[in-house]
Amino acid sequence: MNIRNASPEDLMNMQHCNLLCLPENYQMKYYLYHGLSWPQLSYVAQDEKGKVVGYVLAKMEEDPDDAVPHGHITSLAVKRSHRRLGLAQKLMDQASRAMVECFDAKYVSLHVRKSNRAALHLYKHTLRFEISEIEPKYYADGEDAYAMRRNLGEFLDKFGQD
Amino acid sequence: MPTSNPLPPKENALFKKILKCYEQKQYKNGLKFAKQILSNPKYSEHGGKFVARLFWFPHSNNFAETLAMKGLTLNCVGRKEDAYDHRSDRKYDEAIKAYRNALKWDKDNLQILRDLSLLQIQMRDMEGYKDTRYQLLVLRPAQRASWIGYAMAYHLLKDYDMAMQVLEEFRKTQTVKPFDYEHSELILYQNMILFEAGKYKEALQHLESYDKQIVDRLAVQETKAKLYMKLNRKEECIKVYQELLERNPECWSYYHNLEEAVKPATVEERMKLYDDAAEKFPRAQAPRRLPLNFLTGEAFRKQADLLMRKSLHKGVPPLFVSLRSLYACPAKVKLLEEMVLGYVESLKAHKLFHPDDPEDEQELPTALLWTYFYLAQHYDHLRQTDKALEYVNMALEHTVTLIELFVIKARIYKHAGDINEAVKCLDEAQSLDTADRYINTKCAKYMLRAQMVKEAEDMCSKFTREGVSAMENLNEMQCMWFQTECMRSYEQMSKWGDALKKCHEINRHFTEIIEDQFDFHTYCMRKMTLRSYVGLLRLEDQLRSHDFYRTAAESAIQMYLRLHDHPVSDEDHTESADQENMTPSELKKWKSKMRRKAKQEAEKQERIKMEEQRKEQLARQKAQSDPEADGPKEEELVPSKLQKPERPLEEAITFLQPLQLLSAQCMETHTLAFEIYFRKGKVLLMLQSLKRAFAIDPSHPTLHTCLVRFQKLVKDSTSLKPTIAAVLKKEMQSLVQDKDPATLNKEFLEQNPLSLPHLLAGAKMSFYLDASSQEKSISLATKLSADVQGVTIKMCSEVLNSLRCGDFGSKIDSEVESYRAACHSRFPYASCFMTTVQQNHIKQNAVSENNIDNNAIEQNS
Repeated sequence: MNIRNASPEDLMNMQHCNLLCLPENYQMKYYLYHGLSWPQLSYVAQDEKGKVVGYVLAKMEEDPDDAVPHGHITSLAVKRSHRRLGLAQKLMDQASRAMVECFDAKYVSLHVRKSNRAALHLYKHTLRFEISEIEPKYYADGEDAYAMRRNLGEFLDKFGQD
Repeated sequence: MPTSNPLPPKENALFKKILKCYEQKQYKNGLKFAKQILSNPKYSEHGGKFVARLFWFPHSNNFAETLAMKGLTLNCVGRKEDAYDHRSDRKYDEAIKAYRNALKWDKDNLQILRDLSLLQIQMRDMEGYKDTRYQLLVLRPAQRASWIGYAMAYHLLKDYDMAMQVLEEFRKTQTVKPFDYEHSELILYQNMILFEAGKYKEALQHLESYDKQIVDRLAVQETKAKLYMKLNRKEECIKVYQELLERNPECWSYYHNLEEAVKPATVEERMKLYDDAAEKFPRAQAPRRLPLNFLTGEAFRKQADLLMRKSLHKGVPPLFVSLRSLYACPAKVKLLEEMVLGYVESLKAHKLFHPDDPEDEQELPTALLWTYFYLAQHYDHLRQTDKALEYVNMALEHTVTLIELFVIKARIYKHAGDINEAVKCLDEAQSLDTADRYINTKCAKYMLRAQMVKEAEDMCSKFTREGVSAMENLNEMQCMWFQTECMRSYEQMSKWGDALKKCHEINRHFTEIIEDQFDFHTYCMRKMTLRSYVGLLRLEDQLRSHDFYRTAAESAIQMYLRLHDHPVSDEDHTESADQENMTPSELKKWKSKMRRKAKQEAEKQERIKMEEQRKEQLARQKAQSDPEADGPKEEELVPSKLQKPERPLEEAITFLQPLQLLSAQCMETHTLAFEIYFRKGKVLLMLQSLKRAFAIDPSHPTLHTCLVRFQKLVKDSTSLKPTIAAVLKKEMQSLVQDKDPATLNKEFLEQNPLSLPHLLAGAKMSFYLDASSQEKSISLATKLSADVQGVTIKMCSEVLNSLRCGDFGSKIDSEVESYRAACHSRFPYASCFMTTVQQNHIKQNAVSENNIDNNAIEQNS
């Protein structure tokens, strides 16, 4: 699958992919907000017909509590029909590198449903995220979330500015 | 200020407060102050007009309207209020006019200028935008946005030099901080302008001299690579693309551009680029997959073998989808089939992909499973249903709980035309993993294809917000796949009002997304993400070229055409059945069933009507009790009203216009335009549509039916003005040598004797022109011999519908029945070619099985 930085034209197809795959959905304006605030951070995976089969929608945390610049994954999805190609990892690596290069991010954070074992496994083992805390009742339906983080040290060493 | 009746200080202060509340959308407070002014009878008339605007803002209200009637004088501020009114009402054009008027009285009013500039850019009044931005720059030269906005106006007007100059002046005043993202974006925006101006040399210099200030390294590299290419500096270009591949070896355009720069002379040289990349990036898919597009014969086989073995060994479900585009080439299909069938034999006998492979490379049983999985999709793609089912069933025997297998099985049944069986497979798949929305979505989608709207909605509701109906929540989330499928489902059931409602909902999403850009006009100038902002403006300019809009609009137009031809009457019965094929007892049962159904339907309609009334009332109450609701309320979409449009053709035209503008490359756009104008009797517009369609594909079957009818209309017409008749004759001469309709049709059939879509179009027209050709026409349309191309379920069902709906006249029941039977034997799985009795039997089975708990069935069997 073709992996590249998302452009404004991709945002609508990312929204479509999101609605197919994930329970957390957003209106188009929220995608526009991401694409126009941090255009470097979102990536898509496309098939041969140009359909979006996976994406990462990412942002920088505005006014972080800890005053450390860091990125946040708003949404990451790969269609079930396109699993096991390593797309999630490739998308995340591209986004992480851009966070470091463009915004000097030190780490990247995300939320995952406590019950979503498949995603938890992906983040923990494949993408080397660690659970930083539990956010009770984070989701609209009352489910708790794991707040997870990945240190971007290795990216900073390789690609960061001195 | 030339007001005839200025307010005294106290009232004036109150009035200023009102404006402030207004801007901050605190309508209730604004209202309170307004009432204070109005409580003084002396000023009630004076303030009437603009205070009334305030009342209006979110929606109209009787009180405000009465006051508006009383409004007399309009001072400067009053005019500004006028403008606000229009903006909220989305009548941007009117608002621009009102702002311009307001400026006549107060030409340096910053707020008005800023607001006006927003409206101008939103409406793409670029000349006006440029002038307004100039005013703002003169008034506020110290502000960053003043410079950026002014430069941007020139950029969008393609005056690149001016845009660059303004930005340079601004850039010189900037002090650069370390890690300055905004500054970096500014530099890259300048570079974008240089690139678009075609000044590649300057752009490259610019990029090199500011390199240290740019944090977006990907943009630097990608732009550099493009510039080297433009400047024909191949060595450097190749080097940058090699570096970009290090960064992202899955980006297809890098390989494509690398080839472009290297210009390999032979296939071997070309292949070497990919072999090198594959070696360098062992985890990358692209360098292994992309060469399959250009390799042939033995080289293709070798490369495909490598890739397939790896994927089958690892168990990569998307193997088939990643190779699917190769199926356009029959030679490659044959090679792939031979290879995979070879794997099956060898894996069964030796647990090896090839009997000669070393013994220690023995595969696990899963390799065979994934090979079956591949073959099921392979044969499904070739529409060999029985073989496809055979392989998927073998795979299921191997692993009965693999969800992917049920998905494939469902797809096989769907392609074979048995959507009910497909739904059963997916229902089982989703029951195996109820937490996966992808499977849930697939299942709902298939349910909609089977016209099970209620079931689909219930399925979706597992993932939508509680407390609102799934339908509402999906609309709120702009879930257009669902609305598209839902629309098709209603269309199939002839529920025109419901189907049209979905089309309008989709159309409204597009309007909303165009509205969404409003806030970004100011936001992006602050954030400096100007390249993306320009990208947004360009995207919004052609937003309705998206497939979601095109599909909805085409269907809406078709339905409005239908409603024009056959308006819905109150006692319309959409139910019809193949009564001739029933035995007397079946007929009796059917009739009593229909009576029951009619009664149920009437009750249902009554319920729906009451529900709609209740909703309308609720909406009205809400509107009255919640004056702070944001923005104007849209008219509610009520199916029962939608299916009885007063002016269906005008409605169709509103859906058509964006298609003509943005989907002009599509045949459908112009044939649908023709159908609308045909009904309106607008010959010149019909001609225009025909010419546009002709330029796309002169021998398109749908176009042919338009051409023939148009020629007949023109030739038969006696009332055309001589000037128009002359134009038509001349134009038709260049399109079809002005042949008479019968000759046109005869030649069309002679030129396309073995294509079913062409046969159907030609046959329809020969009956249209000459009713005595009924028998011959039908035999043309129903041709199914082996040499006819384009015999698909979809096409045959179109023929059948055409026969049934009267395109070939009446009293042809036996022809219809024998065609149905012929199609049934050609496509035995397809439910649309079964008898009504068979169809009802299947439906009843589907319903009764759905009512029983799935687990119960499994345990019992």
